[in-house]
Amino acid sequence: MKEITLTINGEQFKGKEGDTVLDVCEANNIYVPTLCHLKGLTDVGACRLCVVEIERERRPVPACTYPARDGLVIQTHNEKLEKYRRLILELLFTERNHLCAQCVASGDCELQSLAYKYQMDNARYPYSWPALPVDPVNDYLVIDHNRCILCGRCIRTCDEIVGVHTLDFGYRGWKDMVVADLNQSLGQSSCISCGACFQACPTGAIFSKSSAYKGRPEECQKVSSICPICGVGCKIEALVKDNRLVRIDSPDLTDNRGILCHKGRFVPLDRKYERVNTALVRNGRGKLESRPLSEAINIAAKKLAELKARYGNNSIAGIASSQASNESLKAFKEFIAGAIGSKLIDTLDGDIYRTIIQGINAYQEKAGLDTETSLEEILKADCILVAGANPLESHPVVGVYIARAARQNKAKLIVIDPTQNSFAYHTTLWLKPKEGKEALALSVLTKAILDKGSKKGSAQAKKIASSLKDINVKQGSEQVGIGVDALLEAAEILGKARYSIIIYGEGILQHKSPGLITSLLNLAAIARSQSTGKPRIISLKPKGNSRGAWDMGVANPSQSIMKNLTGNGVKALYILLADDYVDTSELPNLRKGMEFVVVQSSYLSSSTSKANVVLPSPIWAEVGGKYNTLDGVVKSTSRLIKSPDGIKTDSEIFREISKHMKK
Amino acid sequence: MAKVKVATVWLEGCSGCHMSFLDIDEAIIDLAKVIEFARSPITDIKEFVPVDVGIVEGSVGNTEEEEVLKELRAHCKILMAWGDCACFGGICAMRSTFDKEEVLRRGYIETESTYKGKIPCPPGVPALLDQVKPANHVVKVDCYVPGCPPESKAILYALNELLAGRIPVLPSDMMRFD
Repeated sequence: MKEITLTINGEQFKGKEGDTVLDVCEANNIYVPTLCHLKGLTDVGACRLCVVEIERERRPVPACTYPARDGLVIQTHNEKLEKYRRLILELLFTERNHLCAQCVASGDCELQSLAYKYQMDNARYPYSWPALPVDPVNDYLVIDHNRCILCGRCIRTCDEIVGVHTLDFGYRGWKDMVVADLNQSLGQSSCISCGACFQACPTGAIFSKSSAYKGRPEECQKVSSICPICGVGCKIEALVKDNRLVRIDSPDLTDNRGILCHKGRFVPLDRKYERVNTALVRNGRGKLESRPLSEAINIAAKKLAELKARYGNNSIAGIASSQASNESLKAFKEFIAGAIGSKLIDTLDGDIYRTIIQGINAYQEKAGLDTETSLEEILKADCILVAGANPLESHPVVGVYIARAARQNKAKLIVIDPTQNSFAYHTTLWLKPKEGKEALALSVLTKAILDKGSKKGSAQAKKIASSLKDINVKQGSEQVGIGVDALLEAAEILGKARYSIIIYGEGILQHKSPGLITSLLNLAAIARSQSTGKPRIISLKPKGNSRGAWDMGVANPSQSIMKNLTGNGVKALYILLADDYVDTSELPNLRKGMEFVVVQSSYLSSSTSKANVVLPSPIWAEVGGKYNTLDGVVKSTSRLIKSPDGIKTDSEIFREISKHMKK
Repeated sequence: MAKVKVATVWLEGCSGCHMSFLDIDEAIIDLAKVIEFARSPITDIKEFVPVDVGIVEGSVGNTEEEEVLKELRAHCKILMAWGDCACFGGICAMRSTFDKEEVLRRGYIETESTYKGKIPCPPGVPALLDQVKPANHVVKVDCYVPGCPPESKAILYALNELLAGRIPVLPSDMMRFD
């Protein structure tokens, strides 16, 4: 890019063609006050605080929107400009109801900080005192229009960073205000509650119910970590005060793995479930009562050793939630294989793993999970096929990528799902196959692409083609309940796509049919424009560390151990739930035929209430650990807060039980 | 040298600014050597006499407050505003977004603990203004110490500046609105 030279405040500075005047100032550490400018967003020049004087311009111009040119002579600070800036601040303070003493953002407000900087100790203009609404309906966010300065940062963040574009300006002139969708309450709008607008808001106009009045940033400690909740692996920055999480922000909203969603930003701040704070042991009368951890460990170890001696090693099975960290899962695997000596270990999502891996292996021998592609590929795609998934719900940041690709990159979005489509605004085509006919629908679609003949034929493509030779698109479309025109249009889009990607999730995986996964891979392979390279496909896995648990071999790749526990002579279960809240809907028949059940969990649930011994687990924020993202990258979290007294890590508990079992 | 005469008034506010002033601890001993208070809630003197410095805490929300502030202005050479209420309207100004009648009805009749309420009316009590105003929207104000309440050190800084013959402007690091 061409280098340009500008004169700013009498000194020469270099910039690049395409920069704004503000870009050049910021790159050269020349302070220019801003309010409506936020790194990564398109500048709009709404607040006018960054006004500068430029030679041959009749009046001051906003630095954030003025293109830098070679030879510009700029003045960023002089008496007149400073006077204007203070005047703008006074106008902002008098336009709406900015009363800092009653504002949640006081002490963490860009408008207030600027007023301090400009020593704005009074406002000369008449106050408007408009009667403006407060919208508290959203679960996590409140919009208080009284404190809005109409900078539009929330709107641009919602549009450009999140891609959802729920927020925009409504009304005209001085009645202008931020509205959600067609002036709905935020809680009833298309808002996904990601909270990016809250982070972008320079005042207290958008605030979080979970963080309000818990502490000001200057009173808090800032800790960087990774959110392990859904497996996207977003970077987070947590504010901690008095061992309590006050606020979770993205360290950089422009970082794709830093957009965050409500699960990462808000849910960890509020305690939803009751913690297991002490060990619980079932007493003689059949009631769970609290016991010192060491005693409970002893009881569990003794009973496990006894059962092992009486019925053999494989009478004890281990089941883990894939929400646990790699460290916990590794220790668990070693504990079950070592101290217990049992071959029976699985994860709660083991069936999902087997479905995916068997589907992949049928497509290509031993291809493994690395067949899947990185999440960032979504942002490069010009055609996205979402099959049986609701990413905005299950993995919201993946949903954000899809919405952004569709909105900003004009990617074509095809949804295949009998019932749900959360991308109503963005969808090019929504194919609704009859329930249970998804696999056939995928095959018919693949065949339709092959029939168009626009793809080169590799060996793999020929193999797929021959497996589909008996399918007739017209007949098939009737069988699956999708109009032939829609199917052909989808085939046309996929066939012409330069960069297509397939995302599938729960809706596909619930059928537990590896054949469906193979069909998806076949479709992906045929839709690829080049006949070499791997098809781009991503599965949305059920738990935050599913990929970690599967990569480490905690889930059994060939068979489910859960199916016939008693028939296989299992007498005891050791269940590691860690900080996953798992009730008995995920663990049916927990006690059936079992002599002894140990549940290690952070939260009390219907699962813990059925155990003989409950051991406490710390939550992710209380221990640093490694987690694999759903696209297979290992990320490390850090410790944000301390565990309640007397809680040991999962690994420590396994070590102690092993030690006691040897006695 | 004659002592500097100061009058203070406490309008629509919580007296927090006066409390914050009294919170200057031992500095008040030195201050007492150079200033004396005329009309003030501190001295409980009610009559206005000409003073060098007038200080106003609180915003202007009714006709009496408006009158008192004008009296103070008429009797002082320099007028200083203390606190968010006097500088910007403050907490008291929260009512400005509502209709005056609605505010009175809510306060005197609809309050959950009120039985057979009645709205007090002039001339017995001063009438509410339609909106709450900061001091500088009623009279000319010469200097400001914002804060809710202002920190004692900010109040002391402003007084010392005045004693040194300068009109105080709080430095940025002493500015606060809460």
